[in-house]
Amino acid sequence: MLNVLMLGVGQCGNRILDSINKEAFGGNGASKLAKYYLRPKFPSRVETLAINTAVNDLKELRFTTAKDRLHVPNLHGVGANRNVGKRAFMDNRDMIMGEIEKRGNFDVAFVITSTSGGTGSSFSPLLINELKRQYRNITIITVAVLPFREEGSIYLQNAAFCMKELMEVEAEGILLVDNQYIKRFSGDIATAYDKINGMIAQRLLFLIESLDSEMLSVTDLGDFKTVMNGGLRIGTMGFYQADSKNLSIRDAIENSFKPANLLYPANVADDAARAMVIIQGSREHLDVDEITKEIERISASAGHVFKGIVVKKGRPKVLSVFTMASAPELESIYAQAARGMQDEKEKRSRARKQLDDAFAHIEDLEEIY
Amino acid sequence: MHRGDVFRMRHSFVLSSLVCLLIIILLIQAACCKESDDDDDDEATFKDFNLNVGDRIDLGDYQMELIEIQSVRDGLVVMRISKVGGSLDEQRALLLDSANNFDGGAEKKGVTITVADIFDEQSAKVRVEYLPGIGTARKRTSARPAAVPDKPELSVQKIFDKSQMNVGDEAKVTIIVKNTGTGQAQSINAQDIPPLPEFTYLVGYPPKIKETLDPGESDSAAYIVNAVKEGSIQVPSIVVTYTDGKKNSKSNSSEPFNVIIGPKSRADLVISVADTSPIALDEEGLLNISIFNQGTASATRIEVTGEVSPPDGLRATDLDKSFFEILPGDGANYSAKLSGQKAGGYTIHLKASYDGGDGYVIREGTAQVAVLEREYKYQYLLLIIPVAIIVGWIYRRYREYKY
Ligand SMILES: Nc1nc2c(ncn2[C@@H]2O[C@H](COP(=O)(O)OP(=O)(O)O)[C@@H](O)[C@H]2O)c(=O)[nH]1
Ligand SMILES: [Mg+2]
Repeated sequence: MLNVLMLGVGQCGNRILDSINKEAFGGNGASKLAKYYLRPKFPSRVETLAINTAVNDLKELRFTTAKDRLHVPNLHGVGANRNVGKRAFMDNRDMIMGEIEKRGNFDVAFVITSTSGGTGSSFSPLLINELKRQYRNITIITVAVLPFREEGSIYLQNAAFCMKELMEVEAEGILLVDNQYIKRFSGDIATAYDKINGMIAQRLLFLIESLDSEMLSVTDLGDFKTVMNGGLRIGTMGFYQADSKNLSIRDAIENSFKPANLLYPANVADDAARAMVIIQGSREHLDVDEITKEIERISASAGHVFKGIVVKKGRPKVLSVFTMASAPELESIYAQAARGMQDEKEKRSRARKQLDDAFAHIEDLEEIY
Repeated sequence: MHRGDVFRMRHSFVLSSLVCLLIIILLIQAACCKESDDDDDDEATFKDFNLNVGDRIDLGDYQMELIEIQSVRDGLVVMRISKVGGSLDEQRALLLDSANNFDGGAEKKGVTITVADIFDEQSAKVRVEYLPGIGTARKRTSARPAAVPDKPELSVQKIFDKSQMNVGDEAKVTIIVKNTGTGQAQSINAQDIPPLPEFTYLVGYPPKIKETLDPGESDSAAYIVNAVKEGSIQVPSIVVTYTDGKKNSKSNSSEPFNVIIGPKSRADLVISVADTSPIALDEEGLLNISIFNQGTASATRIEVTGEVSPPDGLRATDLDKSFFEILPGDGANYSAKLSGQKAGGYTIHLKASYDGGDGYVIREGTAQVAVLEREYKYQYLLLIIPVAIIVGWIYRRYREYKY
């Protein structure tokens, strides 16, 4: 059995973690009151911990136990200032790590965070380093959420620096989630967030469950690590559940790679470096021929494709994970961030200059009383 | 109305009255004539007297005294007939119902005496016939006491010491003979027969009574009988025969009476069990058992055994008990301990075997005992506890998730 640690850092990370806990109560179908009469059911031993400097963000959580919410005290919060965040982490490092150590040993850790905020984006790279130090053989996967492009230059800048740091740390890989995709969901922002958080939770739990199951075609944590190590070590996940009208396993696999079902807008054919497909469903739906054919088709463009098959009663479900050899979308973010930063800089010096000009009017004057 | 009719009527009325008058006169005259005829003809008359020994009848110059009843059996009475002046003084034994003439008899201006009846040794009925011309017969009661006669008189009694008995019971029969008379009774013979089939005669039968008893003396004899047959029996009288000094034989008998012999007496035990209140599960109760002898004999060697059915679920201790004897009309009580182990209804069968007088008898009794389900005094906790648990649970969860 896998020992899994799930850390949700910052508001975004906390909320996704809460979704994961909700998923453990039965997912989207779970009643709001489920926590009063059910126990969360994780496929493996899963410890969750929500870490935040903002108490209000922790209070907002619904399905995470109080003891799984760790408040890192910081006098005025961190704002979106990553430097303040880093200092806050370092000041509270022992406390944070002690809280994690209490939860025992882990084979794999998921660090879930937004890249653009203050707390999550600054804590996560440092936290990953500490985890790697603490747990020698731990596999660390970062789940990094990219901001809306319209969210502003600071968020973009934070995302750019955070991503850079995340790529530099020793983690096994990054799974990207792009909030830009939220636009797919109608309604208010809160429900849109809930929806995307649910998607993330569903995929992560499916992944854990599969890695911990007896698979027909062996896919294990090692394979997953290999996939995550491929390319830029940045990847994403797709998920598709066949509907009753079309139970074809082949179509299910194909759909799991479709941009609409991915968490980050990548093109598996163009960008994938390594891929993994985990297929679950009733025996009668799992036509080996079909599966092989479809996997072959994907590997033709995406390099090596690991496949795992879990026989479990139900319609076919397919989880796809792949790492990218190139990330054009990320590049555009950097470009945008840089442009933003440049603009900011120019705006600042222009303002400074205007102010200096203004000051010039009083250069030789003394205050008269 | 015609004058002639009136006349005729008056005439007939007078006539009939005259005829009646004539008849009456004739009748009176006839009666008077008869009387005067008797007087004239000296027709004899008679008078009866009941005389005791010593009593005398005076008639003119005649004195007639009853001297003795010589024999009641033979009908001989001695009388003395005398005449003032001494012309007649004769003591004669007169035979019953035969006329005896003195001085020629009543026809000849003497007297005729007849003993009409002999009542007993002391008295007789005497008829004197005479011509009314010689006087009127009057009784002179003797002033002097009659000489102590030789007149034994035995009274006899037969007594059962109980008038009601049961088959198997013994009774003592006592015969008492007493001479209440004045003379010695001789050749006394008490005949208590026949032996009755309802009894066996154990000792002293037939009873023996002295042969002679002086006046005032009494004798008794007793015998023991055992009742063998039930029924109402008329016990016949005992007859005592005896003779007086003159060998006159006499007899007397006791009054017959009834004896009721009931069926043989037996012990009859009744087992009764006081109503037991239901026993609560795992609790103890008492079963009060009483045995009463409603029979007429003692019950001995009484063994009571008890059984519970169904055998599991109700434990009874001290159900078995033995008693040596229970007298008739008496009883014995004891109690057994009960402890309920399973709810339900139970029957306790009690069986008493005993010697009831003629062999062993078995009597049974039953008692119903209910063992109740444990009473739940705090039943409402059944509701409150789960609710409290649920509330507690929810609150704990609430606390667990409350940040
Ligand atoms: N997918 C997702 N993104 C979120 C959620 N909440 C906030 N974000 C994104 O996270 C970024 C803000 O970072 P946040 O986590 O709030 O800052 P922090 O709390 O200081 O770490 C923005 O780009 C938001 O779009 C959420 O619930 N789901
Ligand atoms: Mg925020």
